[in-house]
Amino acid sequence: MTLAYVPGDSFAHRIDPRSKLLVQAGFAAAAYAYTTPRGLAVLTLLAVGCLRLAGGGARDLWGYRFAAPVLVLAPLVAGATLGEPWFRLDRAADTALASYRILLILVVAAGYVRSTPVRDSRAAIQRTVPGKPGRFLGVGVGLVFRFLPLLKRDLLTAREAVRARGGEALPVRDRMRLVAVAGINRAFARADRLGTALNARCFAWNPTLPRLAFGRGDYPALAVGGGLLLAAAVAVAP
Amino acid sequence: MATSTESVDLVGDEAARNLARAALFAALVGAFAYVTFPNPVSPVSVTLQVLGVFLAGIFLGPVWGAASIVLYLAAGALGAPVFQGGSAGVGQLVGQSAGYLWSYPLAAAVVGAVVHRSATPRDLDAVGVPTLVGAMVLGTVVIYAFGVAGLALVLSLGPVEAVTVGAAAFLPAEALKIAAAVGIVRSDAIAAN
Repeated sequence: MTLAYVPGDSFAHRIDPRSKLLVQAGFAAAAYAYTTPRGLAVLTLLAVGCLRLAGGGARDLWGYRFAAPVLVLAPLVAGATLGEPWFRLDRAADTALASYRILLILVVAAGYVRSTPVRDSRAAIQRTVPGKPGRFLGVGVGLVFRFLPLLKRDLLTAREAVRARGGEALPVRDRMRLVAVAGINRAFARADRLGTALNARCFAWNPTLPRLAFGRGDYPALAVGGGLLLAAAVAVAP
Repeated sequence: MATSTESVDLVGDEAARNLARAALFAALVGAFAYVTFPNPVSPVSVTLQVLGVFLAGIFLGPVWGAASIVLYLAAGALGAPVFQGGSAGVGQLVGQSAGYLWSYPLAAAVVGAVVHRSATPRDLDAVGVPTLVGAMVLGTVVIYAFGVAGLALVLSLGPVEAVTVGAAAFLPAEALKIAAAVGIVRSDAIAAN
C-alpha cells in the first residue's frame, strides 16, 4: 500500500493547501533547528497531532518503509570506530536524533499527502509561483499524477512479457534495457497523442482553477506554521 | 457570481509537445521507482530512477530534461507516490535522500549538455558512445557528490561514514545502468525523434 490522498472530512481536509504547506516548511525548519531530545519530544507530539488531524494513523507511515534501512543503519555506522572504544555512543546518539528528526518530518508530510487532492495542490502551486513557471509546474504536476498509474502498468506489462519469454536468464543490464525501452516508447507515444490532444482542446496558459480561500480553520494552521518558522529563526540567529 | 473577462492565452504547438513530453518523462521516472532489480553487490535492490534521470537529459536535452525532473520532484513533494519505494511528500526533499533528489535536475542538465552540446537536442545517431558514457559518468558524479554531502549534513555523519551508507553499495549498480542506457540509445526500437 502506498501513501495517497484519502477523501475525508477531517480538519486538515478542510483547510487551504497553502496553510498545510507552510506548516510543513515550518516543521522541517524547527526540526533542523531543535535537534535535541527535548525539542524532538515536543515536535513528536506536534507531528502525531498533524497526522491525526488529517485522519491518519500509523498505517500511513508504512509507505515510508523504504527510508527505514538508511535511517536505522546511519547511527550504527556513525557510532562504529576503528580501534578503541569500537563504538562511540555520543556519535551514534547525534545521528540517531538526526534520523528521528527525518522520521518526524515524514510523518507531517504524510498528513499533507493524505488530506490534499491533486487539484488543490496544483492550484496552490499556480497561485504561489508567479507567471509561466508556476503554470508549467501546475499543469505538469497534474499530468504526472494522471499518467503515473498508466506508465507503471506499462512497465509491469513489459516486465511480465520479458519474464514470459525466459528473460530472467538474461544479464541484469539487458533486462533493464528491455524494460526501459518499452517504457520510453510507451511514454513518448502517450506524450505525442497528449500534445496533439492538448492543442486540439485550446490548451491555455491560464485555465480556470478551483477557488482557494483561507477559512477560519486556516488561522491556527498559519499561526502554527509561522510560529515554527519563527522559532527556527530564533534558534539559528546568532 | 463574478465573471472573468481574461482572454485565453494559448500554448503554442511546440511548447505543448515539449510540455507533454516533459510531464510524461517525469511520470516515467516515477514509474521507474517501482521497477527493482537485484543489486550485484548488496542485498538492497536498485531501482531505475537514476537511469530515468540520465535518459531525460539524453532524450529531452538539457533544458526540457531538467524541467522534466523538476516536475518529478514537484509532483513527489505534493503527494504523487514517485520517490523510492512509492513514497511521497515534502519530507523527502529535506530528508535523508534530499541530496540525491535535488541533484537530479542538475544531473539531467549536465548529461543533456554534454550529449547535445547546446540547449536544443541534436540527432542522437551523431553522438558517439564515449560521449554518452562520459556524460553519464559525469551525471553519476554529480548525483553522488550531492547525495553523499546531503546524507552527511542531514544525518550528521562524517565523510567516510556517509560514503559507506550512501554510495558504496550503489555505485556498482550505476555502471549497469550506464551500460543499459547506452544500449537503449543505440537501440533501433526507440521511436522518438
